[in-house]
Amino acid sequence: MSSITISHLRKTYGKHVAVDDLCLSIPEGSVFGLLGPNGSGKSTTFKCLLGLLRSDAGDIRIDGVPLAPAAFESLAYVPEKSVLYDWMTVNDHIEATRRSFTSFDRGRCLSLLLQFGVDPSKRVRALSKGMKTATQAALAFARKPRLLILDEPTSGLDPVNQRIVLNLIVEASANGSTVIFSSHQIGQVERAAERIAILKLGSIVLEGEVDDLKSARKIVEGVVEESFALNGLANDARIAHVERDSRIIRLHCNSDADAVADELGSRGAVGIRVLDLGLEDIFFTAVSEGK
Amino acid sequence: MATFLSVDPRSGVPIYLQLIEQVKRSVALGVLAAGEQLPTVKHLALELTINPNTVARAYRDLEREGVIETAPGRGSFVRGNGTADSARVAVHDVARNALDAAVREAKSIGLDRKATNLLFIAALDRWLPEQS
Repeated sequence: MSSITISHLRKTYGKHVAVDDLCLSIPEGSVFGLLGPNGSGKSTTFKCLLGLLRSDAGDIRIDGVPLAPAAFESLAYVPEKSVLYDWMTVNDHIEATRRSFTSFDRGRCLSLLLQFGVDPSKRVRALSKGMKTATQAALAFARKPRLLILDEPTSGLDPVNQRIVLNLIVEASANGSTVIFSSHQIGQVERAAERIAILKLGSIVLEGEVDDLKSARKIVEGVVEESFALNGLANDARIAHVERDSRIIRLHCNSDADAVADELGSRGAVGIRVLDLGLEDIFFTAVSEGK
Repeated sequence: MATFLSVDPRSGVPIYLQLIEQVKRSVALGVLAAGEQLPTVKHLALELTINPNTVARAYRDLEREGVIETAPGRGSFVRGNGTADSARVAVHDVARNALDAAVREAKSIGLDRKATNLLFIAALDRWLPEQS
């Protein structure tokens, strides 16, 4: 365990549709990255997944069954905003977590806090935003949960602590746990996640394995005559869109870039290059175009 | 141990392909000798801070291509039997990719077969002159 299946999830706040017909399948032992601009429905999806919000429609299953109280023993959720109590010390939180979860490893929690540079005798009130994020991460990972749901787990952290959190995600996955996390830092998702979904206004605009998306999505660039006519290329299924600046033509491909490059060449274009796209480029294209 | 491998996650080249390329290169250069053990999936994933299933994917492909072999419970090793074989596969792959890219670039800037061939022969004469 634990796999997650979300089918046709819909959540509205009054007239506002926060999540619309969202379907996701997250295999056991994988790391899934959820990307999207603010307000795209990432946190709402997490809250519905955890039963913290009641969805309007849809079905959510963890290991094939609807969420039940027993699932929380092996599930850890780190919300975007700190849920630590200001007036309690970090040590108080460690004690409370130890009492609530049999799998909690206090020694591991203390060693993680040491790595993060958090003094456990401090009151939460005295911690910076980043230190609160780190404390929540330490408490969650010290439980060795089988399923981790992390909403912006690196927000406010310095680069060294961000790397520690990423390595905790990698380690959890290597040990067979399933991780789903959201982040605005595309570079982190690119490292830790094997699969991603990009949300926009509550809907998925792109989903897939990071490496497969990079293999498939390329730009074919070439130099053509002013008189060059696109003909069939304009509605070629392999080509998402065409950019043209007088003699430079750029074909944004969703698949078969090499074949598109050959075709462009056979139509007389010169200087043809196939350009690789990082996840950031793929993200911007997906978010700006929609489907 | 894994310091000979590095990846650029921001690159548009899939991470598993970067790993495959680098392991092949290391085998070709003898940095990884026949029979030598590769880092475990978990070790390499943590060392490079990349997804473990991505590392596993690279190892699976390398195994299928005959560059490494995996003994259940013991780890992955550079293929020992017919050492020369896995090294040769690796050498050829690395060289072919480099030549492919060079010819493609020559073509893309408008050189024809004849002009490209002349450049190729000049490069051969420079780097691999015939022994007389």
